Amino acid sequence: MREAAVVSQPNPLQRIPGVAIVLVLLIALFGAIAPGFLSVANLSNVLVQSTILTMLALPMTLIIMTEGLDLSMGAVLTLTSLCVAIVSLATKSMLLGLAAGVLVGAAFGTVNGWLVAILGIPPFVATLGTLGMAQGLSLIVSDGQSVVGIPHSVRDIYSSTLLGVPVPIVMALVTYAAFHALLYHTRFGTYIFALGGNPEALRYAGLSPNRLLIAVYAIGGTMAGVAGLLMTARMNSGHPTAGLGLEFDAIAAVAVGGTSFERGNGWLLGTVLGVIAVGVLRNGLNLISLPSSVQVASVGVLVIVALFLDGIRSRA
Amino acid sequence: MSSASTIEAPSPAPLLELRGISKEFPGVKALDDVSFAVFPGEVHMLLGENGAGKSSLMKVLCGAYRADAGEFYYKGDKVAIASTADAQKLGIAVIFQEFSLVPHLDIAQNIFLGREPKGRIPGTIDRRKILADAKRVLDTIGFDIDPSTTVDKLGVAQQQMVEIAKAISQNARILVMDEPTAALSDRETDLLFALIARLKADGVSIVYISHRMAEVFALGDRITVLRDGRRIDGVRPADVTPDQLVRMMVGRTVDMSYPRNFADKPGEVLLSVKGLTSPTGISDIDIEVRRGEIVGLCGLVGSGRSEVARAIFGADPVTSGEIVFDGKTISGEPDVAARRGIALIPESRKSEGLALLRSVGDNLVVSALRKLFPSGLFDQRSAQRTSDSLIRQLRIATPSARQAVGLLSGGNQQKVVIGKWLAAGAKLFIFDEPTRGIDIGAKSEIFALIDRLVAEGAAALMISSEQVEICHVCDRAYVMREGRIAGHLARAELTEENIVRLGMHHA
Repeated sequence: MREAAVVSQPNPLQRIPGVAIVLVLLIALFGAIAPGFLSVANLSNVLVQSTILTMLALPMTLIIMTEGLDLSMGAVLTLTSLCVAIVSLATKSMLLGLAAGVLVGAAFGTVNGWLVAILGIPPFVATLGTLGMAQGLSLIVSDGQSVVGIPHSVRDIYSSTLLGVPVPIVMALVTYAAFHALLYHTRFGTYIFALGGNPEALRYAGLSPNRLLIAVYAIGGTMAGVAGLLMTARMNSGHPTAGLGLEFDAIAAVAVGGTSFERGNGWLLGTVLGVIAVGVLRNGLNLISLPSSVQVASVGVLVIVALFLDGIRSRA
Repeated sequence: MSSASTIEAPSPAPLLELRGISKEFPGVKALDDVSFAVFPGEVHMLLGENGAGKSSLMKVLCGAYRADAGEFYYKGDKVAIASTADAQKLGIAVIFQEFSLVPHLDIAQNIFLGREPKGRIPGTIDRRKILADAKRVLDTIGFDIDPSTTVDKLGVAQQQMVEIAKAISQNARILVMDEPTAALSDRETDLLFALIARLKADGVSIVYISHRMAEVFALGDRITVLRDGRRIDGVRPADVTPDQLVRMMVGRTVDMSYPRNFADKPGEVLLSVKGLTSPTGISDIDIEVRRGEIVGLCGLVGSGRSEVARAIFGADPVTSGEIVFDGKTISGEPDVAARRGIALIPESRKSEGLALLRSVGDNLVVSALRKLFPSGLFDQRSAQRTSDSLIRQLRIATPSARQAVGLLSGGNQQKVVIGKWLAAGAKLFIFDEPTRGIDIGAKSEIFALIDRLVAEGAAALMISSEQVEICHVCDRAYVMREGRIAGHLARAELTEENIVRLGMHHA
């Protein structure tokens, strides 16, 4: 039998506008009102500053695709950043510092996944709990003080370049490539779509949704560890509130980027555009000297505007 | 009724045979000593009323339920079906009504979920191979579509085709279909029937659950009728008439009689619904309920009964039609309907009807707050008096008004829901499956209570899948089919057989 295949092909370009329109509007707005916004130095600065958020927002996209959430990311980043600082200070080794950060991050991510998948605690509550734990641990290991005097090898990560491209941007690009390959070209990535879309389908296929879910949260924690290295390098110190509120920006970037909070539909490139939109917004408001409290509020407005635009377009 | 031995097998040996399958849930015997055989290349229709055991049998077959007793034989060899993996290995696949597809993956990824061809780099998928393999499977079932199409872009019928393709790709030899045409248009149904004929020719066996008589006779090679979890008979379509099948399906054993004092003469019209149509799928509904009456609303699950109740209550939008209640036209919101005196007592009383953690007293007065305390100030003592008198009046078995509702039995919870509306001054009670999950003793108490309510001038519209109950307690009943009123049965015509005949897809 012939079935009329009059279905529209999935076209990611169709989805660009929601976030891209917002991004273009923001760049136009700040280009007009913020002195120096469009300079190469400033735009490159925006991109470099967006790299830490990119490393959180990409795994956050996967987590949200499973109909989950990770509120602990900012606090875990704070803790891993401190671990990087303390260990690299003690061992004089950047790599050992990174290893410590990644280990601690991965441990927290695994615990998050375990709480959500095995104990069945709602992600919002489970990761709120680990947020508190990570925050408390940060205060304990740092004694509430900044960790200073870390080796140059750590600081240099943030400031050096590779073939003229700042190293943080190289790291973010590599991360994006890895996540893109993971989500769209591996079996694991396929199963992430199913975790949010229809976990029953996984069970019928003889796969364990729980193990996959733990892995997704573990990836989030691990990336918080890598981002912790960048944060320590950027601040040239470990600070007990370094990652405060970053989970909010990460969730906002994912939402702005067009990833759906239901039924497992995610879009990594949209997330990156969302991260840049958040970065442009914060940078622009900085340049026109608005206080950071206004910045937080404006990121909230950004989320609502972007989702509103998507809502209109999907109805049209 | 003839016994199983009168049926000859279409081929010497059955492909799969179930013997003496029983499955019990707390309080319900879902399957009781059911035997069932599937022969190669046949379409085996499974017939029965709501709750007859069709779904349970299907779930046992595919390993989702584990049978308490009974044996399975595959090509004559004894086998175990203890998990979905066991069933899959035997080539049994189920096409569920709720599809097991992932919306944002493409057709190829869905067909081979968990069995993706490996790419050169470990962990990756060989994209070219998965598309080619999917294309081949889609070709075998004659479904001409690009396998890289995302599933959420497909219509229901197309998704069903993908489900079937998925089953075929797993070398399924026995396909179980649960009301596959329920959501299909006539044209799509024709396509599905053509596919079934094609699968049959390839030797695939199909177990087909249906509520439509026409399908049973058009497709079936054999028919097994279930009732009350028992196998009633196995017949060939050529040997029976639709009426005979209906008679096999009905006649559930009645455990007790329900109390009902029928009024000699019904009261004035309380609710009059004319031409009610709603986007939820019901159309042109005419219903009348008089004071002192209990009116049944029956039909198969999914025929639109609950949707009618929700539309009358204002919980669903109404596109056309008129609802006149107590002499006045009503339209719109549930709170308006509730204030006028319509009570909707939903099937899922735990999620929709009660605040389980709050006390019996709180639950009883919650809908009556506006009436009891017009000033807006809550008076603990007056609330207590109201709830205490309701507890006495309805004989709710609770240690005190302070007891959390969630700790009461199902029957007493139902009484609290009724009491809540009584306190709010309801005149029309719409019950959706009022006895679901309630033990038999409590059922008769609930019916006695409803009987008393209508005797005092209220009226009730009762949705129930328990046709025995409808026949015993209702003054008359409407039967729905596919979103419309298929017919009306007066007290004298109110038999299970008539209800099933009207509710099924044959005149």
